[in-house]
Amino acid sequence: MKMIRAFIRPEKEQEVVLALEGAGFPSLTKIPVFGRGKQKGLQVGPVHYDELPKTLVMMVINDGEVEKVVGIISDKARTGFIGDGKIFVSPVETSYTVRTGEAAL
Amino acid sequence: MKEITAIIRRDKLHETKRVLEELGYPSLTIQSVDGRGRQKGALCGEMDSEMPESFCTAVKLKSTPSSYAMEHTLPKVALFVPKRLLTIIVPDDVVTKIVKSIIKVNQTGKNGDGKIFVSPISGAFRVRTGETGGEAIS
Repeated sequence: MKMIRAFIRPEKEQEVVLALEGAGFPSLTKIPVFGRGKQKGLQVGPVHYDELPKTLVMMVINDGEVEKVVGIISDKARTGFIGDGKIFVSPVETSYTVRTGEAAL
Repeated sequence: MKEITAIIRRDKLHETKRVLEELGYPSLTIQSVDGRGRQKGALCGEMDSEMPESFCTAVKLKSTPSSYAMEHTLPKVALFVPKRLLTIIVPDDVVTKIVKSIIKVNQTGKNGDGKIFVSPISGAFRVRTGETGGEAIS
């Protein structure tokens, strides 16, 4: 299993979630976060924004579905401008469903 | 070392904390998150296990789409349920014990009990003393 952490624009969240749901991945967790990237924030005239609001979408999926999910997220979250976000994939060894207590996704 | 990521009901947080403390692993990080599972966040019973049915009906009647959905044409609104996300870093040998106790405390048998993920952690450092590895989390 793999954990996908995608940092996306907050305004793109609904679009990404509905696209994932349509493709058969309804389960996810979202966390509002603040961060900055390569550009060290954003300069608007004299005002410098060091950290910008993003939405962290976290989901755990099977190994074979990583490419598909990453494809959907990057396709729906892309605007072509700086600040579209990043996607990280990390390993997960086991996952448990609390309701049943079984080790299954 | 392993990282245990548990997404649980809001009203089970204190009980879970107490159990972890009894096991001798009191250190944890808590986040307030919004999530959805196989039921796509639509189940009111997911929110809190003891929420009365009348309240659920009222929520369904009064729910309004987010401002984004009002401005844009979306097929429907994606719903989320408030949850608590716990992150616990523990040594390899106690992972099963801790996971079992978290499951025991949080199990209500209804949808929305949550998920627990176990993933590997390759290093840990204590900032105050500069200790590394297993000492840093003991």
